[in-house]
Amino acid sequence: MNEILKHSIRFVALFIVQAFILNQLEIGWGIQLMVYPLFIMLLPFDLGLIYLMLIAFGMGMLIDAVSNTYGLHTSSLVLFAYLRPIIMKIFSPRDGYEKMREGNIFEMGTRWFVYVFGGLLAIHHFWFFLMEIFRLDELFFVLQKTILSLPLSYALCYLLQALFISKPKER
Amino acid sequence: MRNLIAFFRRFRVFLIFVALQVIALSTYFTFLEFPRSQYLTSASYVSGSVLEVRNDITKHFNLSYNNDMLQRENTWLRQHQPTSFQKLQGHTFKIDDTLFHQQYLFIPATVINSTVTKLNNYFTLNIGYRQGIKRGMGVFSEKGIVGIIHNTSEHFSVVKSVLTKNINIDVMIEPIGLFGLLKWDGADPRRGSITGISNDLKIKKWSKVVTRGGSGIFPRGLNVGHIEKLRPVEGKPLWDVVMRYTEDYRTLQRVYVIKNLMQAEQDTLEAAIPEDKEEE
Repeated sequence: MNEILKHSIRFVALFIVQAFILNQLEIGWGIQLMVYPLFIMLLPFDLGLIYLMLIAFGMGMLIDAVSNTYGLHTSSLVLFAYLRPIIMKIFSPRDGYEKMREGNIFEMGTRWFVYVFGGLLAIHHFWFFLMEIFRLDELFFVLQKTILSLPLSYALCYLLQALFISKPKER
Repeated sequence: MRNLIAFFRRFRVFLIFVALQVIALSTYFTFLEFPRSQYLTSASYVSGSVLEVRNDITKHFNLSYNNDMLQRENTWLRQHQPTSFQKLQGHTFKIDDTLFHQQYLFIPATVINSTVTKLNNYFTLNIGYRQGIKRGMGVFSEKGIVGIIHNTSEHFSVVKSVLTKNINIDVMIEPIGLFGLLKWDGADPRRGSITGISNDLKIKKWSKVVTRGGSGIFPRGLNVGHIEKLRPVEGKPLWDVVMRYTEDYRTLQRVYVIKNLMQAEQDTLEAAIPEDKEEE
């Protein structure tokens, strides 16, 4: 499939899921599900960081526009995009990223995906809730929201990949 | 000069990152205070229409419940119509009386987007300044108050709801007439709190909380909630009053916007109060 078309479809699908389904859910205990960083995660490895951040900025602004958060999602998504190459470098496989196509869980293995995507998602969630509350004396509340939301968001991202990304053939 | 260019080239990525962060966060923090731009909020035309389509689909989910509520309200209103009273005294009273001047008008609206889990929750309504909505008007539903209009566009408007940290509506505890400010702690969409209540006064549990009508945004006596718990504040002679809202904001659909016809009169009168002088 054409690469640009594939990523565009993912963009639209994740945007709709986030803006019209997940942002409308009220689970309680401060839990908020966020799956849209998966789109930035699955962009090709060789895409320049500046383009990555600009795409993240655009997507964040679109999500902000329909959920009345005015820049919160944008800020955390740009941070996610900025840190993606740094974290990927730390956990890079032995012979680099040249042979790999994209950073999904089947291509790169569960272990790599837990470290890289889990870490990035944790930073994204923590930054989002920290900026939303923006008070140091409520740091416990920020941590509570982050720790409760993170496993659910991660599980949902895993589920989306398991459903919609075809596994590579056995080698 | 060459060093400067070399510097920019070297830290290009980081500078772009910082610039994007500054744009995003400044949008967020300025919007909390001053609703300046309408292009990137749900009051803008494009996202407003998208949300309206979504609402067209989901509004029917609670249809029978909403119909019941509206019918009950209609019955109540009809019972208060002059036609449902028996005249005891012939022609001694008149409805269109010069003794009564209309002070408040109510404009019906539908909530097309809302959140309750965030720290500051805003609701989007399907009417805007074309329908006469202005910033600072009060919004209430049949069961309780909802918030204050924060931002309007041509066809949509955004309400700063009572589920916002610094909403500060003046409310009154009913039988004793004691008043304080309504606050929200950012966690539970069913409960708010009232500050500024002195602890030498006895307050009964489940006494009613209504609006005070001091600032002219809300009429006096609209339902807000019921007192649920009283907790002493450490080191201050105050109660921390926990209140349960009468409205469930998670299922809110139909609201009314309040237009106060005498707002300007009250404002000019109150503007004439002399400022408190600093200590001399």
